[in-house]
Amino acid sequence: MSERGAIRVAVAGKGGAGKSTVAGTLARVLARRGHSVLALDSDTLPGLALSLGATAPAEPPLLAAAQQGDDGRWRLKKGIGPMRAIERYSVQAPDGVRLLQVGKHTDDGLKPVMGAVNAFYKVIHRLDEPSSLDRWAIVGDLPAGPRQLAYDWAPYADRLLLVVEPTWQSMLTARRIARIAGTPRPLALSLVVNKASSPAGVSQVETFLGMSALAVVPADDAVARAEHSGAAPFDAAPGSPAVSAIERLADALGSGSLTA
Amino acid sequence: MKIVVAGKGGVGKTTVSGTLARALAQEGHRVLALDADANPMLGISLGVGPEETDVLVSVRQGLEDGDSEHEPTIEGFVDRFGTDAPDGVRLVVASRIDKFDPG
Repeated sequence: MSERGAIRVAVAGKGGAGKSTVAGTLARVLARRGHSVLALDSDTLPGLALSLGATAPAEPPLLAAAQQGDDGRWRLKKGIGPMRAIERYSVQAPDGVRLLQVGKHTDDGLKPVMGAVNAFYKVIHRLDEPSSLDRWAIVGDLPAGPRQLAYDWAPYADRLLLVVEPTWQSMLTARRIARIAGTPRPLALSLVVNKASSPAGVSQVETFLGMSALAVVPADDAVARAEHSGAAPFDAAPGSPAVSAIERLADALGSGSLTA
Repeated sequence: MKIVVAGKGGVGKTTVSGTLARALAQEGHRVLALDADANPMLGISLGVGPEETDVLVSVRQGLEDGDSEHEPTIEGFVDRFGTDAPDGVRLVVASRIDKFDPG
């Protein structure tokens, strides 16, 4: 846990493992329990808005927060610090969750949204500055694979949730991520086994990674149907086995029984 | 034929690519399987084996570790950095992110 005592997690794993499902549902659970929650989506193919039940803006709002100097470097505009960026450029999700997104890439790639990418990176590196954020829970959803951890895209987190489904590709990806995590600053690792369909599958993941699962989220048709219809699992499948498992994950994260 | 496979994470790009490469090879085509994902897993779908796939030397790593002279030809790259997969498929991994490297 951070010195603040607030939950500060980033969620990583292979593509399709269920990172956004876990991150979005966890954010909603925490908010429903009364936490102020900042949800961060640093994927330029964003998925967290759907899992939260929020509407994603067409253009990255953070484009308006950035300006490019004569030297070509991007900066936050004068007067825009992390708190103001959140107030102005996040979108409201249900239960009062604030969602700050790096924004979608375009048909012309990342170039047209580089201002937003740079603004997002600067904001997430300054989230420890405003004291008004001290008690906020932060849940970040990272893009697939180890890339963003190699480039310091989760500086706000004191714990990384490795979301792993019982496949070799997912396990190997988690191991690659685990090897990078913890540089340049300490980062506790917790395993979330997702889409679990058998105890043997869970044991295989735990054995391979040498960690016990903090949460086991079962394969769940209700969640699959929610995602098929574009609805947030927390809204469309309340009380389902998967959503209940993520509620227990929230218990485990907030119980104070975790050791870093 | 030259085919690129794309899509969201988890939809099965690697499964389709690896299986297609094997099927083409079994029909007698010479097949080059190129894994351009920074989190490369194509070896698993090709049948190279998970742990073996995890330690394949990537082109980038090979160039960084080896002599500074670059291979002048594509054939040279494939010979030097490729791995043999079943049915004669030749697998080349472009790069793999495996360390903290803030740029």
